[in-house]
Amino acid sequence: MHATEQLRQNLQLAWHFYQQQKQHSKERVLRWVQGILLLFIITLSQTSASIQVYLGQNLANLLGADLVLSQPRALTASQHNELSAMAEQIVLSQSLTTTLTYNDQWQRATLKAVAEDYPLQGELRSAAFPGGPDSASSQGPAIGEIWLDSRLLAALGLQIGEPLRIGDQQLTVSRILLHEPDRLMEGHNVEMRALLHRQDLQQFRAAEDIIQHRYLVEANTQQIATIRQWHKTHLPAAQLHHKHGAHPLALFWQRTENFIGLASILLFFMAAIAMQQLSRAQLPQQQFFSAVCLSLGASKQRVLQISVLKWLFGLLLLLPPVLLLSALCHWLALQWLKAHVFAGQELAGSVATLIWQPDITLAVKTVFASAAIFIVFNLPLWLALRQCSVRQLIQQQQRSISNAVLFGCALLVLGGVAAHYSDNGLLTAMLLGSMIASIALLLVLSWLALSLGEKLSQPFSGLLPFALYMMKQRLLSKTTQILGIGLAAFLLLFTLMLLKDLGDNMAAHQRAHDGNLLVTQASATQMADIEVWAAQHNITIRQHKPFIYAQLSHINGGLLTEVMQKPSDSLAAFNRPVRLHWSADMPGNNRLVNGQWWHSAADNWQQLSVEQEVMTDLGLQLGDKLELVIGGHSIEFSIVASHAYQSGAGAITFWLQMPPAALAHISAPQYSMASLELQPQQFSLLPQLWQQHPSLRMVSLQELTQRFDSSLAMVTRLISGFAGLIMLLAGIVMLSSVHAVEAKEQKKNSIILSFGLSKRTCLQLTMIEWLVTGAIAACGAIVATWLAGLLIYQSQFSLTYQPDMGWLLGTLAVIITLVTTLGMLLSKHSLSGSVRQLLAE
Amino acid sequence: MSLSALSTIALTNVSQSFSHHGHQVQLFQQLSLCIEQGRSYAITGPSGSGKSSLLMLMAGLEQPSAGQVAYLQHGRSMKLTQLRQDIGFVFQQFHLLPELTVLANVALPLKLRGEKNAEATASTWLEKVGLGHRLNHKPQQLSGGEQQRAAIARALVFQPKFIFADEPTGNLDSKSAANVADLLFDCCRQNGAALVIVTHSPPLAARAQQVLAFNNGNCALLVKPQMEVQDACY
Repeated sequence: MHATEQLRQNLQLAWHFYQQQKQHSKERVLRWVQGILLLFIITLSQTSASIQVYLGQNLANLLGADLVLSQPRALTASQHNELSAMAEQIVLSQSLTTTLTYNDQWQRATLKAVAEDYPLQGELRSAAFPGGPDSASSQGPAIGEIWLDSRLLAALGLQIGEPLRIGDQQLTVSRILLHEPDRLMEGHNVEMRALLHRQDLQQFRAAEDIIQHRYLVEANTQQIATIRQWHKTHLPAAQLHHKHGAHPLALFWQRTENFIGLASILLFFMAAIAMQQLSRAQLPQQQFFSAVCLSLGASKQRVLQISVLKWLFGLLLLLPPVLLLSALCHWLALQWLKAHVFAGQELAGSVATLIWQPDITLAVKTVFASAAIFIVFNLPLWLALRQCSVRQLIQQQQRSISNAVLFGCALLVLGGVAAHYSDNGLLTAMLLGSMIASIALLLVLSWLALSLGEKLSQPFSGLLPFALYMMKQRLLSKTTQILGIGLAAFLLLFTLMLLKDLGDNMAAHQRAHDGNLLVTQASATQMADIEVWAAQHNITIRQHKPFIYAQLSHINGGLLTEVMQKPSDSLAAFNRPVRLHWSADMPGNNRLVNGQWWHSAADNWQQLSVEQEVMTDLGLQLGDKLELVIGGHSIEFSIVASHAYQSGAGAITFWLQMPPAALAHISAPQYSMASLELQPQQFSLLPQLWQQHPSLRMVSLQELTQRFDSSLAMVTRLISGFAGLIMLLAGIVMLSSVHAVEAKEQKKNSIILSFGLSKRTCLQLTMIEWLVTGAIAACGAIVATWLAGLLIYQSQFSLTYQPDMGWLLGTLAVIITLVTTLGMLLSKHSLSGSVRQLLAE
Repeated sequence: MSLSALSTIALTNVSQSFSHHGHQVQLFQQLSLCIEQGRSYAITGPSGSGKSSLLMLMAGLEQPSAGQVAYLQHGRSMKLTQLRQDIGFVFQQFHLLPELTVLANVALPLKLRGEKNAEATASTWLEKVGLGHRLNHKPQQLSGGEQQRAAIARALVFQPKFIFADEPTGNLDSKSAANVADLLFDCCRQNGAALVIVTHSPPLAARAQQVLAFNNGNCALLVKPQMEVQDACY
């Protein structure tokens, strides 16, 4: 027979086989599992691609120049000359984050100062009054004027034409600021904004290094290349963005995709459990079909081909609805992101917007990758089919699937997914570690509970001992079932617990240790005034720690941007200057993790202690050299220790710390961080401080809580969507595990009926089994959640986790009730066994 | 044994039919008979003639289309739910639970009834059927004959008053079949239980005290000359 003819026949047979089986409940459940995973992966990749495309456009539209160079300090005269020689034109904008006050209102805002040469490229848009028509302005505010964005105007309760006092300076609010063309990165935060003349800013006499200097450069491609080279050698600590480069947020979004991808390992794990159960349930039918084909003279290869083709038909027919649904989810995700994440950008009238445009090539790639995953999941079934023979028809024996093969395949897929999405060692280790710990815990708990239960109840008769005995006999399938349910419950619990506790704990903890007002940056003069002011009003200063700003430029001689390619929180923070603290002794809220803290009398002042997570994120080791730019000078430090936060002595902690001896060799402005405890009525005293020191950075607990709440609300929505998927998969895991043992259960129930016992006994037995399953899964999930809470709260949020026992017990009851009810509903079919069925076999 | 001292299943004018693709199929009509504790019965007839349906009616597990099934104890009428507690089954496919050992399989009905010495009683029964040396084996480690012995022990261990056996030797070679039949009849006799066997085997049917033969929708109670039984089995 020709190969094509044989393939045609195989296709026909496979199609026929598929058509016959597609209505079987097992096939339906399999379609659900594959469908959910495909939907999740396609939506994630498409949304991420849309964001990256948007960021690319955003970069081109919001640079406001061909190249932007920014750093806290102004360029020196020689640097400015060199840059001018390489560029067509340079325009400077300066920005400073401050708190503006008017009457009794205050509002944190970013002040941007420009001169007559601004803007360089693009349009500066403003309006004459709130809600008025917007118009393009050829230049910014005149001296003595300030433009506020409408939110800031409303927050301060100001009107156009009214005076606004900043420090000693009085400015007139003349227009509403709508859009500045160089808002790269600024549209992604919610800070309110104001624009004023550069000369007015100089009146504030703010320290040089707290003002962000941004040089907007007009340059051709050749000049851009030259400036980039010059930047590497002359100003490595400055940030450079150009219109052909990557968006500064691109790495952040890559990170978000990776995090969600990593979290999806749990979805894959649950899918692996469901598919494993389904493979077991499908095997008898497939083996029977194959054995019949073999008995009719078909080769094993052909039988296998038919099985693979049948699977392929299933996948192909699944694609149209999944692709349609994922397109819809993609659209919904973008709408949500537009409304909640990129809202500032849209408000600012940015030209670029998030566009729903499915990437077909990416979708095809994603489908192929998912198909490869499903193939690996299905491999054990095909391997078992390879061993199928006609003998089975005669001897009525079935070959089962090897557990080692099942486990190996699941591990292969999970390893692959982890490797694909992993970008950060610590995060991957933490996520995978907590998952592995909870899996191990559930396994041990299942084994212990069932073995002990069976052992202890052995001398007794009755339904409970029998149920435990049967569960112990089916330890493997029961454990798998418990694992699936337990993991889902763990995820849901952890998610809910995190949301509930974080808010409560944070507020309580912050108040107990840190007061309700945090000074995040105060110069020496400002701090001295704060101390006087605090003493006058009987306000307690709870903590006070000094620091200087340092920009990390090189690691072991290599440029930071070149050495670090993978995104991480630490790297994102190190793109800006970070706070460098000095202390002779280990601070009370730190503990030594590695290395040795310096002796106060040490001669070697070029030593650093680096926070543990930063070490991991940046892949640093003791002995590594870090070059920091401090006060315009590069200084090389050697890492001698690594520290970690410990609770109990205040929350102000620093990533980088050096010996106090270093101060003698460094010339840079010194600042302080502090925390204060104010009485509610004393908050009205704050405007006085801010008017005196506009550049003083303070944030009240209320503001912190507000910021936290808005972030939490966003995370809650994201997590709720994820939790929905988890619940759906948990239901499917239960369904597939019921399917896997349905025939056995039905037979068991029929046999029980043949002993003269009633259906009620079968019902009670099934209920006991689900109660035990639910109880073990719920206990495992709660213990795992508690452990994860303990570890993650401590390491990520620096909070001491105190679980609410009432809440945990309530959850236990809810999980057991839910699992038992759902289990009973799903077991309806296996409860329909009868003696007649046994007679008919 | 006097009738009033025994348990009896009485079928009065019982008919059974079912609907198949809109057609009414009649299995049997107006059948009246009594199954008395301590006696043995064989039901014979071609496949699909209604033997298993009659078995289900006798066991009180199905309702007849017409007529009455009654359970009498000491002459008093009892509920059919009571009858269900007094019956045991032996199947052609043995239907032992593969996850359990032979001992656990036999102890199963006792454990479910909450009996304290379930395993000791089960062990005694396994000794009785000649499987004392196989207590901790799994069913798949036993031969067909041995599995059926275990199934007989399981059916009798909780002392039911009626044993219903559906083709108990249908899956066995002739030697094992003869052994199993001996065992089944002996155990039922010793226990004072009624034995109702559905079978195609003339020698097995011939061992019963009474034979019910199905033929073309009729069911007749045969008197027991050997030849008649031979003809009734198909």
